[in-house]
Amino acid sequence: MENIIYFTIAWLDPYLMMLVAAGTFAGIYVGAIPGLSVTMTVSILISFTFKWDVNDALALIAGIYVGGVYGGGRTAILLNIPGAPSAIATAFDGYPLAKKGLAGEAIGLTTVMSVIGGLIGVITLAIAAPIISDFAIKFTSREYMLLGIIGIFLIGTLSGEGFAKGAFAGTIGVMIGMIGLDPMTAQARFTYGSINLMGGVPYVVAMIGFFGVTEALVQLDKIKMPYIKQKISKIIPNWSDIKRYFKLVIKSSGLGTLIGALPGTGGDIAALIAYDQAKRSTKNPEVPFGSGAKEGIIAPETANNAAVGGAFIPMLTLGIPGDAVTAIIIGALYIHGLKPGPLLLTETPHLFWFIVGNLTLANLFLLIFGLSGVRIFTKIVECPKAILIPLIIILSGVGAYAIQNNPIHIAWAMVFGVIGYMLKKYGFSVAPIILGVILGPMIDSNYRRAMMGANENVSQFLIDLITNPISLVLVCFLSLMFISQIPLVKNYRKQKFK
Amino acid sequence: MNTPNELRPGEKIFSILLVLFSGFLFFESYKISQFKSLVTSGAMPMFASTLMFVSSIFILINTFSKNKTLKQNSFQVIKYLFPLRFILFVLLIFLYTFVIQYLGFLLASGIFLFISVWSLWEKGPLPAILISLSSIATIYLLFRIVFKVILPIGTFFQ
Repeated sequence: MENIIYFTIAWLDPYLMMLVAAGTFAGIYVGAIPGLSVTMTVSILISFTFKWDVNDALALIAGIYVGGVYGGGRTAILLNIPGAPSAIATAFDGYPLAKKGLAGEAIGLTTVMSVIGGLIGVITLAIAAPIISDFAIKFTSREYMLLGIIGIFLIGTLSGEGFAKGAFAGTIGVMIGMIGLDPMTAQARFTYGSINLMGGVPYVVAMIGFFGVTEALVQLDKIKMPYIKQKISKIIPNWSDIKRYFKLVIKSSGLGTLIGALPGTGGDIAALIAYDQAKRSTKNPEVPFGSGAKEGIIAPETANNAAVGGAFIPMLTLGIPGDAVTAIIIGALYIHGLKPGPLLLTETPHLFWFIVGNLTLANLFLLIFGLSGVRIFTKIVECPKAILIPLIIILSGVGAYAIQNNPIHIAWAMVFGVIGYMLKKYGFSVAPIILGVILGPMIDSNYRRAMMGANENVSQFLIDLITNPISLVLVCFLSLMFISQIPLVKNYRKQKFK
Repeated sequence: MNTPNELRPGEKIFSILLVLFSGFLFFESYKISQFKSLVTSGAMPMFASTLMFVSSIFILINTFSKNKTLKQNSFQVIKYLFPLRFILFVLLIFLYTFVIQYLGFLLASGIFLFISVWSLWEKGPLPAILISLSSIATIYLLFRIVFKVILPIGTFFQ
């Protein structure tokens, strides 16, 4: 009964409800602008909520996340430019549909299916999180260390050009996370006598730099890219279509939630895998995939929204971010004095159910905003990049400054932005860096606790890793991840796939 | 657009720099507490920088085994990595981050926005002024008045 009360806090408070609605609206519109990903939107906007009450901040964040993941799909359909990485697969069939004059129908269908996917993800979160949380109480420092390593390397294997580049980016993040005074011994690390560096690099400054500023600089190359407008027809989808594709929606939602729940993976990977699965499992599509198949837009859009609920599972139960956006949210929760992990559900259950309630509400607002204002939407999305890019820089600067009111953080964010730009130019992904910044200090402290538990004896430490069942499962998972990256194994898998 | 198997301009030099950078980080990590114990402050930085070094070696090998499709010279490398628009814009950004502590948010951001929009949009100074003024006013109202966010204060101007 208490949980239901916590769940409905935002539903009964007009101010919180307004914040969820505003977040969803902002998420849809900002996330849809090509070049402004949901990660970037969340990283910039979240910095403004640090002085707020935690409930207000969580209400806005939930809305931005749900709206932002959905928003990217609209531009993929209308302009053939995915607004966010999670909408890449949507463009494959969404744009051909728009060229046939079915843009409105495609948007309507993806909106309804995204909402269903999002709700399935949230229901899974509500059911699975308490179970996982109970189980996670048994986790020791060893398991947390292994989970952190898995999180960084999993995103490394799935993003950018190959495992080596992913691992390199992840370790850059770990090294950034090491800067400052060691919390266990107070010894300075990489501070070079600078007082500003003693306190370390705030998570959000690194995030704003690597996502906000980097993406703005990358967009400089595409400043003169023209938009091709499409006609908008009717938006409300047919009931027969919803019934017809319902099985696919359930399947894609399950897949999306599961992939979203894996530490380090997110909506972009969920969408691509769901698209691939839909392509394989749909025997006789009305229209071939790639030429405007409705299955080709439903599967990725459902999966990426379902992944939102999934990504919250490891974040709230283990303190491990499910994807780059939850990595930012976890940073914000720490700043608000909360500690995501297995104890969050037992010590602050109201917070968990409040988040679940907000995500559900955000999905309902998504239905309202998703099925309306498409014509105004096209005008906003067409905002010239020459105006947008300097505005992103200013907002990034304000966001970086707002964390500790320190002007040096503006300069740090800009330096991170330039580094991120150079790395992107050579095929590196910046997402592992962010996970490294968040998970690096966690791996560090848990490794040292585990090693001290083994009396600094390496053989004992290794024996502990393989004699404990939970550790053993995680070690096997980590080993499989490394084995799958060996060129011989990769070639074998490629040949088998062919 | 480059495919992963095509060599980008300057990629070989970049991969060599990554190896040198990770080697430097390993040396810096070693200096924190050397090999005194397995649980010192320097242990994790040493693990991470070792992994970084190994990854950079793999990146180097992969880069040197790529197809070289274009004849590359230093001019092409600079053009690819640092186009003139990028250099000027980054210089403007760093100038902005430097002067904001003296001029404050309103003045520094207004000037930055005006110069950026004027040069990038190419529609003349008047639209640039109008956009800059309206954008800064909106940001100020939204963040300072509504969200109560403290904006950077300058030594000479608030």
